[in-house]
Amino acid sequence: MVDQLPNLGREKEMLKTLGMSSMDDLFSDIPEAVRMNSPLPLPNPQNEEQIIADARRLLGANVALGDRVSFLGGGLSRNYVPASIFQLIVRGEFLTSYTPYQPEVSQGMLQAMWEFQTLISELVGLEVSNLSVYDSSTAAAEALTCAVRIHNKKATQKDTVYISELIPPNRVSVIENYSQGGGVVIKKLKHNSDGTLNLDSLAEAAGSCGVYVEQPNPLGIIDQGLMSVKEIIGENTAFIVGVAPVSLGLIEAPGNYGADIVVGEGQTLGSPITYGGPLYGIFACSKDYLRQMPGRIVGKSIAVDGNEAFCLTLSTREQHIRRHRATSNICTNETLIALMGAMHMSLLGPEGLELLAQRNMAACQLAKDRLSSLNGIALPHESGYHYNEFVVQLPASTASCLEYLDSTGVIGGFDLSNWYPDKTNWLLVSVSDQTSLKDIEMLCAQISIWCESISQGVTA
Amino acid sequence: MSHLFEHYGAKGQGYSQPAPIAPAESIKLPSGLVRKSLPRWPRLSEPEMVRHYTWLSSRNFGIDTGFYPLGSCTMKHNPRINEVIAQLPGIADIHPMQPEHHVQGTLAIFHEMQEMLAICAGMDAVTLQPVAGAQGEFTAIRCVQEYFRKRGETQRTKVIVPDSAHGTNPASAAMCGFEIIEIPSRDDGRIDLDALRAVVGEDTAAMMITNPNTLGIFEAEIAQAAEIVHGVGGQMYYDGANFNAILGRTSPGLMGFDAVHYNLHKTFSQPHGGGGPGSGPIGVKSHLAEFLPGPVVGRREVAEGDKVTAINEEWWYFWETPENSIGKVQQWHGNSGAVIRCWAYYRRYGKDLKTMSEHAVLNANYLRKKIIDTAISQGVSDLFEDGAPIEVVKHEFTLSMGPLKEKHGVGAMDVAKGLLDRGYMAPTVYFPLVVPECMMVEPTETESKETLDEFAEKFVEVIQEDPEVLHEAPITTKVRRVDEVYAARNLTLSYPFDEE
Repeated sequence: MVDQLPNLGREKEMLKTLGMSSMDDLFSDIPEAVRMNSPLPLPNPQNEEQIIADARRLLGANVALGDRVSFLGGGLSRNYVPASIFQLIVRGEFLTSYTPYQPEVSQGMLQAMWEFQTLISELVGLEVSNLSVYDSSTAAAEALTCAVRIHNKKATQKDTVYISELIPPNRVSVIENYSQGGGVVIKKLKHNSDGTLNLDSLAEAAGSCGVYVEQPNPLGIIDQGLMSVKEIIGENTAFIVGVAPVSLGLIEAPGNYGADIVVGEGQTLGSPITYGGPLYGIFACSKDYLRQMPGRIVGKSIAVDGNEAFCLTLSTREQHIRRHRATSNICTNETLIALMGAMHMSLLGPEGLELLAQRNMAACQLAKDRLSSLNGIALPHESGYHYNEFVVQLPASTASCLEYLDSTGVIGGFDLSNWYPDKTNWLLVSVSDQTSLKDIEMLCAQISIWCESISQGVTA
Repeated sequence: MSHLFEHYGAKGQGYSQPAPIAPAESIKLPSGLVRKSLPRWPRLSEPEMVRHYTWLSSRNFGIDTGFYPLGSCTMKHNPRINEVIAQLPGIADIHPMQPEHHVQGTLAIFHEMQEMLAICAGMDAVTLQPVAGAQGEFTAIRCVQEYFRKRGETQRTKVIVPDSAHGTNPASAAMCGFEIIEIPSRDDGRIDLDALRAVVGEDTAAMMITNPNTLGIFEAEIAQAAEIVHGVGGQMYYDGANFNAILGRTSPGLMGFDAVHYNLHKTFSQPHGGGGPGSGPIGVKSHLAEFLPGPVVGRREVAEGDKVTAINEEWWYFWETPENSIGKVQQWHGNSGAVIRCWAYYRRYGKDLKTMSEHAVLNANYLRKKIIDTAISQGVSDLFEDGAPIEVVKHEFTLSMGPLKEKHGVGAMDVAKGLLDRGYMAPTVYFPLVVPECMMVEPTETESKETLDEFAEKFVEVIQEDPEVLHEAPITTKVRRVDEVYAARNLTLSYPFDEE
């Protein structure tokens, strides 16, 4: 504690300047009735060595993905964050700064975020990007409420948006929380048995404020049908696409097939999974949506001497100016994680991104091929195209399979009954650029053993 | 100048990757969806990338660079042990969908944080899920909303905020669908109980207020305000932005609040990172606990059948979702990496967190007195006014540059730029709105007496500076004063490739 308080031991001297004799005098304005009169019932202070030892003991007891063979995904994906990023990100000038309200001493972060906006714009094929929202779930939620603000006047289905029925409940719940205050009605879009979006069902969404779908979708399916969405729903309904950003090294940018807003989880570009946060949400849109966009935006400007300079702009959308009429309440965002993303994108370059996407797709294809050849299991969407993940249908409950796999050191994937309660035998297998052939062989071998035991009537 | 998008040469990459584990021909994509042209990203080798971002960092000001008295933001030193711990594989390399027996260590830390935060604020239950202060506000007001829905009190459509409130308060309540009623503060900056009495009623859902308020003043009549709001059946919400002022001295619970958010990036030293990430847990009294976003960490005694993975012999930790949960505000468990950092910070103080707050308040009062005394001794104390006439402030204070503006045409922004020229980050300017030409100063507990003395000297020097010079300031920074109007009128939000 001493090491954090430069004035410890000098209280008397400073209090004297104030004409006070004790620390209590500093709190004399707190009425007796609301004073805390007993010490906080908390443990004794620790020093740095003790804290780090406790942290290593506690966190060391966790099972890190790197210690196992893992096929967990569901929106977050194991990746490799280049070493230089970790070295740069702890530079105090970045790490310990805050929102660049004073642009003259914040050009570094402002320029980095303006570059981030450009990198994201280029990636998704849209004109404008903000400098991040919290994560992909709040990005989707903010996109839908943004769409309502833009289109509600002309909409024939007032206050109504449509989202894919496959969107996982954890993301749907965020969307519901963010939109219920505006009285937004959320309707579901159906999918075909092969996992692709049902375009007949989509026709119902015309005249609503917006449509939210994901590419790849939550089952990993790359859906060519999305290319005709904008044509079906029309100009007055926002087409919002949630993306896995690395996939855009191979898959067409949604901005090039009609998307008005693109959102997504930035994590695979620059950030470890970190138990699900901090992450960063991507939010990009066409110019028509700019003034209803949430979050901070950096613009290029000039200084009084005419030299190039950067500053925050369009702040009149934001809560500190517009208060209850702001486009969003977001203030603190995920700038530092977005900066890690910018660094990663800079290191990759266009061809590096393409290669990274290839590594993900190749691993996915290989895992799909190997698993589909096993006896006892099936791939319900085998004929489809996949990125990063796909569904495996098991001969018995997914929960029992995962329990068995766990006992062999394999994190086999995600039990989809958590998302879709009737799918008790569906396993979501997720790979990434970090998946090796050996990992896939291990998974196949163990699933085979488990299937064998099931077919012999042995409960795992 | 270093421009990222001017590095566009050879097809080199900044780090070399392994080849795909299957041949490229095996990759299958629908023909229409094959990307036609790659993004126009730059091409940098590692040395070029490292130098670009190092150069950018040299053009940025952080707490590590110098004194950062940005009011309301609690820019305290960020201990580096936090960063080391947050990169341990036991947090960086774990997935939120892993089963509980894989993450007992993290759950134990989360449980400890829930308990600690509840104790500090006098609340009964805590969720760590909200990822920023504004999201915490939103989450708590959502809980209040569901509480009233369950009780059938749907006529409660209004949320009251003082005119000195942070902009996020009205914005968060409006996002939940509430109508905002703003009440004026008294001349001394404090809450006006008569104004409050005049607006409360059967339609009142909640009052949102921070204490100490944004002028750094403790709302001595807070218990009465709570009584008025509770008297009509409303809920009291505590904006924890200024929590750094009161730990161990009072608590929102003692003041009569029902719900509170914590800014872990302020009070508990998660680095602000140029704008984020933050972390905004909320605490509530027991009657709101059933509505908290789920899941939260619970614990029970270790049972015989538990896996060998229990973290200790006493407790087994698990996720549980409150009975009438509002659902989720972030799809996983919040900013876990930030929570871990703040756990490390809290362990540094333990039961002595009170000392931290005492020093934050000591430093604020000392700096305020120093500025005023220095100005008096130089005969220029008439160039500014106290934001509020008050004996003792809490963690921050406000000064009005109104007289300076009137006498010499020098506004708060000019003074701010003059301070940049002297190597400081400027205080918050033009907030709260109730103080004309406001400068809001929060030194935090991690600044030495010498730093405060020097800042007081420089501040008084700035206000005596030639107005012409101040209008031109800053001149020593990496760029001269930036034209924000130009930026808004000539929107250039990305690199203009087409103009090459």
